[in-house]
Amino acid sequence: MSHPKLASIFNKDEKRVDWHDKALWFVRHKRDMSAHSVKGWEELRNLGHGIKAHMLSNLDNYLIQFEENALKNGVQVHWAANGKEHNQIVHKILKEHNAKKIVKSKSMLTEECHLNPYLEADGMEVIDTDLGERIVQLAKEPPSHIVLPAIHKDRHQVDELFQEHLGTKPCDGDPQYLTGEARKHLREKFIQADAAITGVNFAIADTGGFVVCTNEGNADMGAHLAPVHIACMGVEKIIPKQEHLGVFLRLLARSATGQPITTYSSHFKKPQPGSKMHIVIVDNGRSEQLSRPDFRASLHCIRCGACMNTCPIYRRSGGHSYDATIPGPIGSILSPGKDLTKYSSLPFASTLCGSCSDVCPVKIDIHSQLYKWRQIITKNTPQPFVKKQSMKFMGKLFAKPSQYETVGKIARWSLRNLPKSVINSKPNTWGKARDLPIGPKQSFDDWYKERENNKKSNDQ
Amino acid sequence: MGSRESILAKLKANKPEAIDLPKIDLNVFNEDLDLIKEFTKKVEIVGGSVIEISNDEEVLTHLKKTFPNTKINFSNLDNTQSFNTIDLSTIKNPRNLEDLDVLVLESKIGVAENGAVWLDDNDIPIRVLPFITKHLAIVISKNNLVPYMHEAYKSLSNHNSSYGVFLSGPSKTADIEQSLVIGAHGALSLTVFLK
Repeated sequence: MSHPKLASIFNKDEKRVDWHDKALWFVRHKRDMSAHSVKGWEELRNLGHGIKAHMLSNLDNYLIQFEENALKNGVQVHWAANGKEHNQIVHKILKEHNAKKIVKSKSMLTEECHLNPYLEADGMEVIDTDLGERIVQLAKEPPSHIVLPAIHKDRHQVDELFQEHLGTKPCDGDPQYLTGEARKHLREKFIQADAAITGVNFAIADTGGFVVCTNEGNADMGAHLAPVHIACMGVEKIIPKQEHLGVFLRLLARSATGQPITTYSSHFKKPQPGSKMHIVIVDNGRSEQLSRPDFRASLHCIRCGACMNTCPIYRRSGGHSYDATIPGPIGSILSPGKDLTKYSSLPFASTLCGSCSDVCPVKIDIHSQLYKWRQIITKNTPQPFVKKQSMKFMGKLFAKPSQYETVGKIARWSLRNLPKSVINSKPNTWGKARDLPIGPKQSFDDWYKERENNKKSNDQ
Repeated sequence: MGSRESILAKLKANKPEAIDLPKIDLNVFNEDLDLIKEFTKKVEIVGGSVIEISNDEEVLTHLKKTFPNTKINFSNLDNTQSFNTIDLSTIKNPRNLEDLDVLVLESKIGVAENGAVWLDDNDIPIRVLPFITKHLAIVISKNNLVPYMHEAYKSLSNHNSSYGVFLSGPSKTADIEQSLVIGAHGALSLTVFLK
């Protein structure tokens, strides 16, 4: 289904939309306060951009260096060309260790590869341990946000889910009680787990180590208790040196939630005595995206979610309306590279206001890339008949100033004089969910001419 | 051709022309922070508390007062046999630490800009300790505070640890309707002792 269709489902509950909008704007506001309190913030962003651009221009060699160091550290390294191969590799490692119970910390990559259903099909139990992820897992839904996976749910829905699945008492949605119950439930899972799966926030070429960031401590509880730790990373997660973490860790949490740093930034290098550590390096379309000069900067993304929190469309349409693992502005420039037809509506889910690019910690030109995808999509995928015809008509109209003036006059008169039932009728998609302004008597052209005349008469 | 080779070949063919690695000029960030004041402020912002002390004994006195009836305690400070109720060398499986109540560790780096302290396996005898404990206390010398993450990584370049963590505050979550709750999977409280 297209973005507008899915968004209209989300928009049915107006109160929820308002709450969603405000909740995310509040996070964006916290990001602003946090960013503005850092001296040299813009220089940090420049450095983040520059280090990532350099990394992409030497990606193959950095991966080789990373692999060499990881192997020296006693970590086993695997390579997966696509999601299917990634799942097969993870499955094979788990089988080799006879692992049946698996705890997973948040990883958008494993979501992208649909790892859970793959493992569950073989009778394995996969528990998502980030609280937001656990909530959506119980609800059998995908995350709707990459940092706040259950942002679309209210506390009463969580209350009901926990009563049904964890046997909790009704608590009128008390977050403290619900979190406490989740802690007990998940602690049991951590203690029993045969293996832990985590994502990777940053992989460091010159040490062979990698960093995982969480606020809850779930990645560490999993990885240090289970005898096997599998870390899954996209090829673009590499940074050249450990000292570069100084730049990215300063940017990540401030951009994501406004915190000065995540509670836990864990640096894994060697397995702890008696346990095993595996890294799966995944391509899954990234090398393809690297080949597109206009779009390769999308691979700079450090998954902070700032572009989602600020996007006027995302806030009012919800993450699920994007029907993609990574929703929002960044997802709308990543997804068309994977499937132009399926995701053809996403680059149009934007006002092109540029707010996403303004907050991006690694300065991805998101809104220009959205614009560029639009050009490609319009040429390469079939467009609706009405849209095509109206664009043709508008093109002709704009080419003739006199005609444009006449149509403008009629439109302004109509907006002043016709009843609302006519103006907000079905053919006018602009009037779908809002009142249109009262048409001014003067056109911009008239106003401008008058202004220039006044200037002249004042000068004389 | 295996996936490793095919991925690397594709990346090599598709990558742009070499782009230089930017140089990091630390002067851009310098604002002459009062390290103790800034560090204390940030630890409190992230939900922890800071107590200034003059010797290690005050740590244990304070903890015994705050958590009077705890059964399982461990500290890696010197001369704390009276406090410790477990012997880590007898712990064969990290899962057996499930009931740990209070843990005291020492850190060698604290970061003023975000209140984070660094712990690595030289400070943590068993990796899961600072996460599985109910209450965590960290002791750090005022002389070991640095202003920003950049300086922290500079001092880490001499360390060669197989695991380490920047830890900032107690475990927390805001996944239920954006309400902040302290104590998700990790420690329920964090006290930093500055000496």
